[in-house]
Amino acid sequence: MSLASQIVTVTAINLRSIPQRMWVSLSTVVAVALVVAVLLSFLAMANGFQQTLRGSGAPDVAILLRGGAGAEINSGVSRDQLRLIEEAPGVVRTAEGKPLVSGELYVIVDAVKKASGTQANIALRGLGPEGFAIRDGFRLVEGRMYEPGAAEIIVGRSLLDEFAGFELGKQVRLGTATWTVVGVFEMGGTVFESELWADVGAVQSLFRRTNFFQSIRARMENPEAVSALNDYSQADTRLKLAVKSEQAYFADQAGGAGGFIQNLGWPLAVIMSIGALAGALNTMYSSVAARTTEIATLRAIGFGGIPAFVGTLTESLLLSVVGGTVGALLAYAFFDGLTASTFGGSFTQVVFSFQLTPELVVQGVVLALVVGLIGGLFPAIRAARVPLVAAFGEK
Amino acid sequence: MGDLYLIRKNLFRKKTRAVLMMVAIFVAFLLFGVLGSFERAFNSGETGASATRLVVNNKINFTQPMPIAYLNRVRAVEGVRVASHWNWFGGYFQEPRNFVISFAVEPDTYLDVVGTDYAFVPEEKAAFLADRGSIAVGDAVAKKFGWQVGDRIPLTSNIFTNRSTGNRTWDFTIAAIFTPARDLVGTDVVFFHYEYFNETRSFGRDFIGSIVLETTDPALNDKVADAIDALFANSPFETKTVTEAAFNKAFAEQLGNITLIVTLVVGAAFVTILMIVGNTMVMAIRERTREIGVLKTLGFPNGRIFRMVLGESLLLSFIGGGLGLAAAYGACIFLAPLVGGFAPGLTLALPVVLAGVGFMVLLGFVTGVIPAMNALRLNIVTALGRD
Repeated sequence: MSLASQIVTVTAINLRSIPQRMWVSLSTVVAVALVVAVLLSFLAMANGFQQTLRGSGAPDVAILLRGGAGAEINSGVSRDQLRLIEEAPGVVRTAEGKPLVSGELYVIVDAVKKASGTQANIALRGLGPEGFAIRDGFRLVEGRMYEPGAAEIIVGRSLLDEFAGFELGKQVRLGTATWTVVGVFEMGGTVFESELWADVGAVQSLFRRTNFFQSIRARMENPEAVSALNDYSQADTRLKLAVKSEQAYFADQAGGAGGFIQNLGWPLAVIMSIGALAGALNTMYSSVAARTTEIATLRAIGFGGIPAFVGTLTESLLLSVVGGTVGALLAYAFFDGLTASTFGGSFTQVVFSFQLTPELVVQGVVLALVVGLIGGLFPAIRAARVPLVAAFGEK
Repeated sequence: MGDLYLIRKNLFRKKTRAVLMMVAIFVAFLLFGVLGSFERAFNSGETGASATRLVVNNKINFTQPMPIAYLNRVRAVEGVRVASHWNWFGGYFQEPRNFVISFAVEPDTYLDVVGTDYAFVPEEKAAFLADRGSIAVGDAVAKKFGWQVGDRIPLTSNIFTNRSTGNRTWDFTIAAIFTPARDLVGTDVVFFHYEYFNETRSFGRDFIGSIVLETTDPALNDKVADAIDALFANSPFETKTVTEAAFNKAFAEQLGNITLIVTLVVGAAFVTILMIVGNTMVMAIRERTREIGVLKTLGFPNGRIFRMVLGESLLLSFIGGGLGLAAAYGACIFLAPLVGGFAPGLTLALPVVLAGVGFMVLLGFVTGVIPAMNALRLNIVTALGRD
């Protein structure tokens, strides 16, 4: 018999005998499945959060903040600065010659988080008249647009799903004014869908911030024009605003919390893997022990040590791959698409959904394989070294 | 030959197997110890809050300001022992990544309100109260940047501009370094004088962030809160007054449901070891069927055999679990400076240890009871006959 056919034969014997060790084999499968499920749930959470933020920014939209502010909530921009930017080079103009620039005010208000029933920070954004022309993908799906200057709000779809208090037609009292929710909008599941939008003039007057903005957004002719605008802004002492592409702005924010979740997932999974590894080793050692007579008998009739080694290792890898697959399925069934919300960069809630991608599943299965490989290696060495005398049934 | 001796010998007759089971148990209890402590510290804002402390915020949101005139009107409300205020500064030291949780406060009343949380050296406290340009620094912050009492340090705000210099930086003299006065208090925070800040900031003058107060009696909390909110109803700045615990809970909820995440992870770890250890124990006892038959023949009572098998799984659970909790203790010390204000006062506390011990007992029983029952029911003739 060739080595190859010996390996095939012994491996087949190994795998077919798994049902005899049902419970102990099952414990390995469950252990690996849970480790992989935990890892994938964290990775899917981090990925979903990062995708939501990264998908929010356009490369050719410039966002201007006061230097050092870092986030819209900390920033402050005057009307004069807004006028200067409207005249800046590289800004796209409409057919009528109006620059696509929007001075925006960003106010934090309370909403009730449906999941916990507690108050949470929500962004109320006041947009300039050109705010919609700057943003791609905006779609009003219910109700109507707010009237300029009126105390009317349109609400993002994600916000509506996660928070109570801003349903269509509802009256909301913020400060001295009563606002009416007149519409619902979608914007491709981006950060903006976690916001309330209103006319900037209405927000300024009803929150007593006349002539005050927090950010300026401008649609530029091309992505390169964004950095040119930064040079322009730095050169003018009246401006000194920090200019970034909206894409870069949100990518920075994605790194923070998203990276934190990701950095939590891997160490947890590795620590849990050590537990699962102990289980896998245990299972495989007992598998070798149960088959000692069988392995020795095979040796006695001319089989080599290598088939015993390969057979045992294959059994271990198979169990862990099954475990890894079950874990990935569990993560998919329970976590994929699950929506949650947490603080984004501007101290307000960002709604996102867990996203399990094939790349992440591969990471999970690789972890399972590593557990299976190490968990099978040492027992496989022992199997290869079973002495011939064990064939005579020493028990 | 005591039972314990037999139990120990039985447990370690196959060393690899015993060690592997212990490793699995060790990992689960390490995770339980660290995550349980983390969750406790994370939720400390709720559980560790003072029973008589209330927080008054602008009703729109806690980031919206209120006029400073509100403070004296709140002080006049019946049942208020002392009231102070705090203001978010958004500070960092030299570079934006050196973020410092920093508040401008009214010093004397503020230290009265939070008196049970922080411990001061009396002379340093007096120096802080006396000098308007001084700052009180939590020992965690002081340690992070190597600050000493007497140092002159700049703090830059990512929100406000200093009118006297035209940039966003204020200079302070460190007058006091304070330490936590009780369990679950974080010192990842600095306080300085509101007056100094208010006079020099470019906008928002004479407005304050939040009012924090102590009532004379926890039973009065609801009444005081209602009275304050009624006082400012229909004004341009309506308020919402809640207990500090409720405020902190809502804040923690905004970050996410950490409790649920911790429960899921620890639950997964425990299911794993239950499967591994339970299975292995059944197997280990089955291998000894014959021996148990011999013990029974020798006249060992059933109860004693039952106890010996159960004792073995309990011993296993306690060795693995005990080492796991010990490692968790070390891990908490290591992690505490890294998580900072996110989980203040992270340490392996007694309640977590006690819960851990409870789980060890539970685990020992659950994994031992089936093999023990099998051993108990064993008929001597079949036992000796079985191969």
